[in-house]
Amino acid sequence: MKLGPFCAGVIAVACSPGALQPKAAQAIMLTPPVQANYMLNCMGCHLADGSGAAGKVPSVRDSLVVLSRSSAGRRYLVQVPGASQSPLSDLELAQVLSWMVRNLSARPVPADFAEFTAAEVAAYRRSPLVDVRQTRARLLEAD
Amino acid sequence: MRNPIDALVERMARGLARRVSRRGFLGNVGALLFSAAGLPLLPVARGASPAAAGPAAAADRGDPQTCEYWRHCAIDGFLCACCGGSAHSCPPGTEASAVTWVGTCHNPSDGHDYIVSYNDCCGKSECGRCLCNRNEGDKPLYMPFKSNDYNWCAGSKVGISYHCSTARVVGVAK
Repeated sequence: MKLGPFCAGVIAVACSPGALQPKAAQAIMLTPPVQANYMLNCMGCHLADGSGAAGKVPSVRDSLVVLSRSSAGRRYLVQVPGASQSPLSDLELAQVLSWMVRNLSARPVPADFAEFTAAEVAAYRRSPLVDVRQTRARLLEAD
Repeated sequence: MRNPIDALVERMARGLARRVSRRGFLGNVGALLFSAAGLPLLPVARGASPAAAGPAAAADRGDPQTCEYWRHCAIDGFLCACCGGSAHSCPPGTEASAVTWVGTCHNPSDGHDYIVSYNDCCGKSECGRCLCNRNEGDKPLYMPFKSNDYNWCAGSKVGISYHCSTARVVGVAK
């Protein structure tokens, strides 16, 4: 096989002005604001997929759907210190909680899942949750 | 009696010598090598590759071994880039603590604010090189998820021994 024409083609492509110019700057893809709020305020402990660290940070992957079904569970999710004491506004916290249920749950999210609202967060957030572990265990034991 | 393998190889070598000039052979080998090096430059569906979280290489200026490097805007510890690792990877023999704190740093080269995860590398004694303590956005210990004063190795699986800190870009805030 004659390699000449083939190589000439390769040289033409490799040496064409386009090939030698640096690639145009890639468009930066912004992280969606709700996900960015999760990253900045929750991900440090709960990790990118919500799995946490065994024995230190509980996984949210199995509990979010269960807790978000009942008003007591929703109250817990808002009052848990990492959520209630975060610098997020009521609306931002509501959006992050809904995002977590939809994106970090290992279980299927029910079709009738009700999004958290700023009003709901405001109603629960101001009263502190003192006994976090026992409350969580009690809410999940029925499941 | 001649070995049949010797005879076969001799026949092939003589045939090759009759058909191919030495210069032509060398030229073709050279062309093959050149084209092999050139092929990766061809435009093969690069647009389909997912955008990385970090800035383009041209916009990632600065030396990761210096405290002034833009990703280190809120780091507190020894730079892993000086300890056998890099700005985003742990040195051999250490393990990254998954649990950590996350902040943003402004990249002056492209004007974006990147979300940076400051994962500590754990399991060995302190590296001791390139101590860097910059505290942009750092909050007091009573806001633990915004504080860089914690030893985040407390959340690792290999124990609390702190070695160095990385600064991993995980997203773009704005």
